[in-house]
Amino acid sequence: MTPLFSLRKIHKSYNGQVALSINKLDFMPGCIYSLVGPNGCGKSTLLQILALLLKPTAGELFYRGRPIAWRRRELQKVRREVTLVHQSPYLFHRSVRYNLAYGMKLRGIAETEQGERIDHILELVGLTGFEDRNARELSGGEQQRVAIARALLLRPQVLLLDEPTSNMDKKSIDEFDALLPVLMEQDLTIIQATHQPDQPQRLGSAIIAMDLGRLV
Amino acid sequence: MTAGLDFSGLYALQGINTPVDFLCESLLQALRLIFTYDPEVYVTIWTSLKVSSLAVLFASLFGISAGLVVGTCRFAGRRLVITLLNTLMALPTVVVGLVCYGFLSRSGPLGHLGLLFTNQAVVLGLTILATPVIANYTIGALSAADGRILPTAQTLGAGSVQSALLLLQEIRFGAMAAVIAGFGRVIAEVGIAMMLGGNIRGLTRTMTTAIALETSKGEFAFGLALGIFLMTVALIVNLLLNLLQQR
Repeated sequence: MTPLFSLRKIHKSYNGQVALSINKLDFMPGCIYSLVGPNGCGKSTLLQILALLLKPTAGELFYRGRPIAWRRRELQKVRREVTLVHQSPYLFHRSVRYNLAYGMKLRGIAETEQGERIDHILELVGLTGFEDRNARELSGGEQQRVAIARALLLRPQVLLLDEPTSNMDKKSIDEFDALLPVLMEQDLTIIQATHQPDQPQRLGSAIIAMDLGRLV
Repeated sequence: MTAGLDFSGLYALQGINTPVDFLCESLLQALRLIFTYDPEVYVTIWTSLKVSSLAVLFASLFGISAGLVVGTCRFAGRRLVITLLNTLMALPTVVVGLVCYGFLSRSGPLGHLGLLFTNQAVVLGLTILATPVIANYTIGALSAADGRILPTAQTLGAGSVQSALLLLQEIRFGAMAAVIAGFGRVIAEVGIAMMLGGNIRGLTRTMTTAIALETSKGEFAFGLALGIFLMTVALIVNLLLNLLQQR
């Protein structure tokens, strides 16, 4: 089976400081991966490279066996199949509905279908009735769920989660954990960076341990 | 509306030649010009508002676009462009008038267009004046904007133009403040309107040029009437600007 993502001799450095150095790494479709390691070990850098938001200093990245050429049009095409939910996601200063509909509008999805998808996803993430609330006025946990719902609505092939629970209180973490079965039911590849030591096991995910920008 | 205003008692002050009386009398005459809808006052106000609004419209197109490019793209010479834009903020209006005059005068490269001493020429000059102001305010708003907006837009599948539009939407209060600041700059300027418009009565005469001319002719009350209106516009502009900057 062709890997979804293949990294070959990927190297990323900032001002001469090595942030990431991976010789070989493959992500297979339909699997769940957990990136674990201390702060600054390169988890977020790796996710940003996979989301095509960050160009490696050296090395090659393949998506479905094809090398990424880092050309604008190609990037946009692949980005529509890969969605990253940031550690502290940015929600637009608008309603929850606007936030959820944004990516669908870009893809030219009809308004009636947008409405149906939004109703369905809000039910899945336990935010029914939140459509018209200002997204910026929700709690941290609710905002994280809106961000995940916004990503899932686009039906991506790959969902990248950058430490989704790192800035959450206990209640919000519980809310997020309740969402995990929903994520696992979706037919997608999940690659998440996590600090929670028990979460990879609960997810049944493959663990990728990192330190100082390298795989360990 | 004017029937109810009776200035006769106050006009009794006429003939008393103290400086305070002069100011009071001029103020009353100015108010009378405003409240009796003096056609010349209102044509002048209309011309001012018209050329300023058109100039700000064009300057917003150029200034916001330039601000978005400079504020979001990293390119060689970016610091130089920002310094240049900052310098252009303090551009003397007469210098803009002078350069445009050189281009638009009969013997200038654009003289064949016959634009000199028309409102179009004034709009052109004012657009040049307001563009750096709007661009700088836009850059300022972008530098204060959340750094996660663009990556979020990109990861949701937005292209360059869509990302820029989203960014603009997210900094909309800053962008509106930029437009208002631009309007504040052009409505109050006199050099460009005088040099490129020619201060032609009923055609290119704006509030500021009329104030300068009428006051020099001794028509202080007329100038004061326009001054009151100009101050009112400036006050509204600043109130709006403060309101937006607080959001």
